[in-house]
Amino acid sequence: MKGKVDLEGCDEKCDGHQLTSDARHSGKVIEVEGLTVVRSGQTVIQNASFVVHAGDYIGMVGPNGGGKTTILKAVLGVIPFVSGRVRLFGHDLRHFKDWGRIAYLSQNAIAFDEQFPLSVRELVSLGRLTRKRMGRPLGREDRKTVEGTLKYMGISDLAKKRIGQLSGGQKQRVVLAKALVRDPSILILDEPVSGVDSQTQERFYKLLSDLNLERKMTILMVSHDLAAVFCRMSHMICVNRLVRTSPITDHFDPNPILKETYGEHFQFAYHQHQCKGEFKDG
Amino acid sequence: MAEIGLNDLADLLGYQFFQFALIGGILVAITCSWIGLFLILKKQSMITDGIAHSVFGGIALGLFLGINVLWTSLATALASMTGITYLRKKGMAQSDSAIAVMMALGFSTGLILISLAGGFNVDVFSYLFGSILTISKGEIYSVATVAILAIAYLWTFHRELLSLTFDEEDSRLLGLPVTLLSVSFNILVAVAIVISIKVVGIILVTAFMVLPGLTAIQFNLSFKGTAVTSILIGLVGVISGIFLSALFDVAASGVIVFVMVGIFVTSAIYNKLG
Ligand SMILES: Nc1ncnc2c1ncn2[C@@H]1O[C@H](COP(=O)(O)OP(=O)(O)O)[C@@H](O)[C@H]1O
Ligand SMILES: [Mg+2]
Repeated sequence: MKGKVDLEGCDEKCDGHQLTSDARHSGKVIEVEGLTVVRSGQTVIQNASFVVHAGDYIGMVGPNGGGKTTILKAVLGVIPFVSGRVRLFGHDLRHFKDWGRIAYLSQNAIAFDEQFPLSVRELVSLGRLTRKRMGRPLGREDRKTVEGTLKYMGISDLAKKRIGQLSGGQKQRVVLAKALVRDPSILILDEPVSGVDSQTQERFYKLLSDLNLERKMTILMVSHDLAAVFCRMSHMICVNRLVRTSPITDHFDPNPILKETYGEHFQFAYHQHQCKGEFKDG
Repeated sequence: MAEIGLNDLADLLGYQFFQFALIGGILVAITCSWIGLFLILKKQSMITDGIAHSVFGGIALGLFLGINVLWTSLATALASMTGITYLRKKGMAQSDSAIAVMMALGFSTGLILISLAGGFNVDVFSYLFGSILTISKGEIYSVATVAILAIAYLWTFHRELLSLTFDEEDSRLLGLPVTLLSVSFNILVAVAIVISIKVVGIILVTAFMVLPGLTAIQFNLSFKGTAVTSILIGLVGVISGIFLSALFDVAASGVIVFVMVGIFVTSAIYNKLG
C-alpha cells in the first residue's frame, strides 16, 4: 500500500454511521428485486434479484452479451427497466440522491478521446463535482483529496500530463483515481483489467483488495478472470439473462452454477490451493 | 497605401463608433471562442453553420415585418437548435442531415421573404458579411448585455460543462443535472451565434467560433490553458481585425477571420516542426 489517503469524513462513512436506519440494520447497500430489462425489444435481464452487503467483494461473471453491463447500468439508473425494484442504501433508486457514495468505472472508461485537452489532475478533479455545489470552484479540502488520491494511486508525477499521452496502465489508474476521489462507499467496475498487461492487472487487483480490506469499500467488479474471482472475492454473481448468485467459500464447487451460466460444456478447473501460488497477497 | 502612424490609432480610439465596435467585438470574441472550444470537443462545430444560415430566415422576417432583427434572429436560432436536437433525438435524421435540413429551411424562407419585401439591399449584405464598425448604440447595448450574460454563465458553470463534455454518463452518475446543463448550453450556443453574426456575418460565424479553439488545442495544454489560449486568440483576431479594417477600409469580418486562420496555420506549422 502506497500510503493512506487523507479523506475527510471517511471514518464516518466507512463505519456506516451515515447509512439510513433500515440499511444500517441490514447492511444492505444494493438490493435488486425482480429486475427485468428490455433493450430493442429483447429481454436482456429477466427477473434478477440479488443483494450486495457493505464490505462485500463481488465478482460479476458471464459470457459476452450476457447482460453484465446492462444490469449495472440499470442498477445505477442510467438505463430504464420494465419491472422490478432497485434500492441503494435503503432508498428507492428513483429517490436516491447521494450519488457521491457510489463510484462507477465504465467498460470504456479508458477509451477516451486522446486529443481532449485535459490534464491528469483536471480529469481526477472532475470526480469531485456535485450537484449541491454546482457553479462553485473546488475548495481546499477538494484539492487536498485530489492530491491525496493522486498520491495513493502513484500518479502524482503524472498530474500535469495530458491524458492522451498516458500508457494503458496509467490511464487505468487515472480513471480509477477519478472514481475514488469522491470517496465512495461502493465501487463498481466494468471489466477494468481488459487490455492491460498481466503485471498491471496484478497491481490493480492488489489495490482493489486493499480498498476492500483497509478502507472497507464494497466492490462489485465485472471480470472474465474466473481465477481472480475465486481466489480474491467473497461472492460471485453470474449473469446470462438470468442472474444467479453465490458466496465463494473454501469447499465451494463453482462448476454447477458456471455450467448454468456458460452452458453444459463449460468446465472450470479450480483448486483453492492454487490461489496461494498464483497470487501472493500482502 | 497611406502611411499609418500611431496617431491614427489613437485618433480611432476617440471615435464613438470605434469604441462601440471594439467593446462589442471583444465581448463577442470572449463568448464565442470559449463556447467554440466546447463545441469542438463535443464534435458539434458544424451545428453553428446550420444555425447561422437558418437565422437568415429570422433576419429576413424581421426586415419584412419591421420588427427588431435581434429578436427574430434569436427566436429563429432557438427554433433551429430545437429542430436539430429534435430530429436527432427522434432518429429522423443523422446529425449532419438534421443540420442540413434546418439550414435549408431557414435560408430558403429568408430568400423568399426578402424577394417579397422587394429584394436585397445593404442591410441584407451586412448580415451575410458582418458590420461591426457600423454597430449602433442600441445594438451595442443588446449585444453587450447578451454577451455578458453568456460569459457569466460560462464562468459559473464551466466545470460542469467540462464534465458533461468529457463524459456525459459519468456526469449523470455524479448527480449533475445533465439535461438542464445540455439545454442551457444549447441555448447559449444559439445566442452566441446571433451576436457573432453582427461581428463577422452569417458566412464566417463557424470559422469565428471554431478557429480559436482548434488552434489552442494544438498546444498540448491543460483544459484551463487551452480555454485561456482560445480566448486570447479570439481577442487578438477581433482587435487586430477591427483596427486594420478601420485603417485600411477593408471588411472587418474578412480581416478577423483571416488573422485567425493565420494564427492557426502558423501554430500548426510550428507544432509540426517543433
Ligand atoms: N444500446 C443497446 N441497445 C440495444 N441492445 C443492446 C445495447 N447494448 C447492449 N445491447 C444488448 O444487450 C445484451 C447485453 O449486453 P451487455 O449488457 O453489454 O452484455 P455484457 O456486458 O455482459 O457483455 C446484448 O445482447 C446486446 O446485444
Ligand atoms: Mg459489458
